[in-house]
Amino acid sequence: MYKKHSKILFSVFLLALVILPSTAVVSAQDTTEVGTPRATTLIVDQLDGRIDNPTQTNPYQAGTRFNQGLHQLAYSNMWEINTATGEQFPGLAAEMPEALNDDYTSFRITLRENLAWSDGEPITTADMAFTIDMVLNTPEFPYHGFLSQVVDSYEVVDDLTMILNTKRSEPRLGYTLGVHIWGDAFRLVPKHIWENEDPATFQNYPPVVSGPYTLTDVDPNGNWFLYTKRADWENTDVGQIFGEPGPEYVLFRFYGTEERRIIAGIQNQLDIFTDISPEAWDILRDANPNARAWHEDFPWANFDDPCERGIVFSNTQEPWDNQNVRWAVALATDIKSVGLATFAGILRVSPLAVPPVQVIHDAFHKPMREWMTEFAFEDGYQPFDPNYAVDIAAILADQGVEGLPADEDALVDLFGVGWWKHDPDKATEMLQAEGFTLENGAWHKPDGSPWQITINSPSNFEVQSQRLAFAVADNWRAFGIDATVQQMDSGTFWSNYSRGEFDAGSYWPGCGALPDSWDLLDAFWHKRHIVPIGQPAPGNAMRYDSDALSGILDQIAPLPSDHPDTIPLLTEFEKQFIVERPWLPMFGTSKFVPVITTYWDGLPTADYFYEGPWWWWSLFKYHMPFIQPKGDG
Amino acid sequence: MQFAKFVVTRIIAYILVIWIGITVVFFVPRFMPSDPVEAMLGRIMTRGAYMEAEQVEAMRATLTQAFGLEGTLAEQYFGFFQRTFVTREFGPSLSMFPTPVNELIGRALPWTLALLLSSTIIAWIVGNAIGLLAGYKSRWISSRTLEIIAIFVYPIPYYITALILIILFIHINPIFPLFFSVQGEAWSWEFVSSAVYNSVLPALSIVIVGFGWWVLSMKALSSSISEEDFVYFAKLKGAGEGRIMTAYVLRNAILPQVTVLALQIGAIFNGALITEILFSYPGLGTMTYNAVLQADYNLLMGTITISIIAVATSTLIIDLLYPFFDPRIRQR
Amino acid sequence: MRNSNPRLRVGIVILAAFILLGGILPFFSPEDPRAWIRHPRNLPPSAEHLLGTTNLGQDTFWLLSYATQNSLFIGVFVAFFATLIGVFAGLAAGFLGGVPDRIITLFADVFIVVPSLPILILMSSLLQGRASLVLISIILILFNWPWPARQMRSIALSMRERQFVNTARFSGSGTFTILAEEIAPHIFSWAMANFVNTVLVAIATESGLAVIGLSSLEEATLGTMIYWALQHQALLGQRWWWIGSPVVAIIVLFICLFLLSTGIANLSAERRGHGDA
Repeated sequence: MYKKHSKILFSVFLLALVILPSTAVVSAQDTTEVGTPRATTLIVDQLDGRIDNPTQTNPYQAGTRFNQGLHQLAYSNMWEINTATGEQFPGLAAEMPEALNDDYTSFRITLRENLAWSDGEPITTADMAFTIDMVLNTPEFPYHGFLSQVVDSYEVVDDLTMILNTKRSEPRLGYTLGVHIWGDAFRLVPKHIWENEDPATFQNYPPVVSGPYTLTDVDPNGNWFLYTKRADWENTDVGQIFGEPGPEYVLFRFYGTEERRIIAGIQNQLDIFTDISPEAWDILRDANPNARAWHEDFPWANFDDPCERGIVFSNTQEPWDNQNVRWAVALATDIKSVGLATFAGILRVSPLAVPPVQVIHDAFHKPMREWMTEFAFEDGYQPFDPNYAVDIAAILADQGVEGLPADEDALVDLFGVGWWKHDPDKATEMLQAEGFTLENGAWHKPDGSPWQITINSPSNFEVQSQRLAFAVADNWRAFGIDATVQQMDSGTFWSNYSRGEFDAGSYWPGCGALPDSWDLLDAFWHKRHIVPIGQPAPGNAMRYDSDALSGILDQIAPLPSDHPDTIPLLTEFEKQFIVERPWLPMFGTSKFVPVITTYWDGLPTADYFYEGPWWWWSLFKYHMPFIQPKGDG
Repeated sequence: MQFAKFVVTRIIAYILVIWIGITVVFFVPRFMPSDPVEAMLGRIMTRGAYMEAEQVEAMRATLTQAFGLEGTLAEQYFGFFQRTFVTREFGPSLSMFPTPVNELIGRALPWTLALLLSSTIIAWIVGNAIGLLAGYKSRWISSRTLEIIAIFVYPIPYYITALILIILFIHINPIFPLFFSVQGEAWSWEFVSSAVYNSVLPALSIVIVGFGWWVLSMKALSSSISEEDFVYFAKLKGAGEGRIMTAYVLRNAILPQVTVLALQIGAIFNGALITEILFSYPGLGTMTYNAVLQADYNLLMGTITISIIAVATSTLIIDLLYPFFDPRIRQR
Repeated sequence: MRNSNPRLRVGIVILAAFILLGGILPFFSPEDPRAWIRHPRNLPPSAEHLLGTTNLGQDTFWLLSYATQNSLFIGVFVAFFATLIGVFAGLAAGFLGGVPDRIITLFADVFIVVPSLPILILMSSLLQGRASLVLISIILILFNWPWPARQMRSIALSMRERQFVNTARFSGSGTFTILAEEIAPHIFSWAMANFVNTVLVAIATESGLAVIGLSSLEEATLGTMIYWALQHQALLGQRWWWIGSPVVAIIVLFICLFLLSTGIANLSAERRGHGDA
């Protein structure tokens, strides 16, 4: 009896294992899981993971998500940015804003002709006026606070022209209401749809949009979002500027952990990746011959992400309030070992407060290299090491890396202009001069207590900053400082930063995509943003109170980007920044954003550079006319 | 009478447990260093929009008011109980404002329940059957083999099992879908079959990890009961082997196992978290994890309150059913 | 000890190997194996590096020995106290009944119904990442004692009605004597199984926390070793020495503990004169 039972149980168990898989339907490769033809469906990695509220597409509600394609494809912006040239250009607008007075408080804004919403209604200044009024009258929107401080009044001149008066001087209105990095919150909505709804609670699904694609289907579980090309793509800014988008469908898809995304790429079920690690790229490259990173060969990654990474100090707290201490930890850092541990050395160093993206590298880093080499402390010590690029190339060549350039200029272009020396002896001397003591290999602060540093780091997001924190802590421990990394979820990570309740951290207050990064530098460094520790800071979370830095920023504020004094003043800012050392930038961001070329031609690469590979930025829609199905030419 | 008194005290304890549990979960996140307004501001600001100090302040005030985080902690606390138990709603999600928490949970809960209840119960039945055989008939080759398999798979952590399954059945031998994707209208044949097909691997990873423990604990229980005098006497009396195994050994060994099964429902959230993340499975686990990360108090309170009530209720039912399982117990 | 108890011996031998690896060897390590970029990266095993090196330039063997030490510490620390507290609380509740029963059951129930992982995530966020292994262990004890307590209570309830306990009670023994002399042997093998389980639950929970980046990641444990290996794609990159070492160690460690526990159970059964099971 029981013998039979056990056998039956056992066979049922085995049967379950065998039968369940075989009854399954394996979907064919020529259609996607959502039933569209694979050859005309571009599949894009969903940066933010699963979206639990997939049908919330009201662009002004606080909890609406955008990186699942909504702002990349469905919403066009007034002014966009071309990351290849580093310039803004008009999107829905016909021209850049035209200033009507010398104070930059009144502007003429014109819309492009023959634009239409995805339901066929024309896009006019009536929609723009409606959007402005709606935001100004809906205090529930987080953007309400922002816009009501910008817009004073407006006047509709005709269907395509509006005069906008601002509350204060806005020499950079293109930044304020258009895209600088990532995207912009000012998105036009169709009056004829929204005027009968309560904007605060309106779900807006399916949305009627201004972009070249419409959201036609979503996964109720938020794992995929399907966009379909508009039949009237000629009535969109993308169509008018660059022509017909190539992919018939774009599917944003979240596959899960990095392993699964890699496997998807190997199986040709993912065409475009967001951020992966260098190790993952190695695997993908070996397994799928059609995998292509930004560069054909080493270093593969794109170095033009607009924020640089490094270690931030809480500058009002001892010992970080001492300039020499900040300099000492810089010299105690072996930048080469940090780079190797972070991203296998595939990084471009940056000693400046702005990121080493190509346009900025050419405008600031390279011109300032000589000045930095000559730069000396009061005692005559020159801290700069201009040979970083040559040295790291030698180490990598030793490890068998191929395809490294030979001459120094090319190496500097690749790995950066140089960084601060690794000089523990000088660091020791500087610390001892400040009253620090080294006992049994461990540093003690002037008051005799052991010197402990806690470095805040992101946990499982922003991998480069996370790894950087661990690598720097490892370095500082070797120097004798008790440094530990404290990993934090994004909520804690940012609110500790904003409240100034941290010791050190791998934050990234060095961003910019254009040579004129005044807006971001001002937000990060101007002393007028400083609030006491414990209160959330609107800017300058490092609470660095410098008259010199703030003074230079005040001089730049009224100047438009193309003013001849703007760049020289920004260079002055950088020099002062190096002297005062209020944070320790290390590397630009290396983005491994590979593509799979099995089904597509024209994906952007270093050799075919019409736009940067920022699939999660609103500019992604301008890639579409360049991307064409294989075989169609 | 005695039973009635037992039921009353047990129900009072049940209400107390829920109240203490919810109170703990209400206050712990509010002492966290992050708060939902800052998390949301951080998210909006890292998108690169440039804002002046006053603009950020204005936005902060807007969000604080919209999120209902004004007022003292005590007011929020009573507000929560009132809202939850009078109007039966958890308010808007803070990280996905203004989507209601009820809507989010309503969408995720069936998935988690289906996956975890079915795989937990399968693991329980298979594991106990094998454990009983292994304990009572420990000399059999087949029961020994199964026991050894259980010993080998049991200690492998969830995510390693999951990763190995992914590599084997998705990467090397792609018989299961890489991604979670359910087709068809709700409850059509296509929907159900694709849902089951998509859930096989996550379920398998839970069954594999789960059943080992049932085998081992059942084996320990049944082998010690097999040595009891009453089993010995039953044998002397000439009772059949099958009857001894089911009526004597199983009956006595199953009680602690039923208790633990009821308690296992509490572990659903733990299992759900890791398994759901690895398999991109659309359930409450991922949602709870994200709620913690985003400091989404309302969503967190919603998911945890539901789980507390579910687990407390199932343990209550088990306790009340105890006397029917084991008549030897007389409630005092 | 008779020849019929080979499990105990095998278990002891493997445990001895782990104690050597985790308890003694770390003191002879030529370096702090947690430090990064001390060696060339991704070396295969050699005489110099017995298990090769990691992608972070650490020696895998010495890292494993540190990891084993810490994981054993967590597992044993948590399992010992959770089982101890659980068994006594459960027995007390089952045998004493009345108010003590209700209070113990209430507290056990609270910890059972509150899902532990979200709370652990909240806690580690509260503790500002300075969460040491001891603190993580204490939180794990908090969530693991109610399980043996509940089960012990139900065993106690059923035992209270059994013949031999009644006999003992009639012969005038006190509750404690009954507990110690009559009941303890019966629950011993069960308690060992629970102990083994809790060791693994503790190690697995710690490594589960590690996988989502919430354990003390600069400490080497078997969990954090897996975490770093996964972070650097050791699985798809087929760096089996790195990812395999901690996984194999966890499996072997458990089998060893299991053999020990059944060995001990057999031994106690023999002592009670029931013969080998």
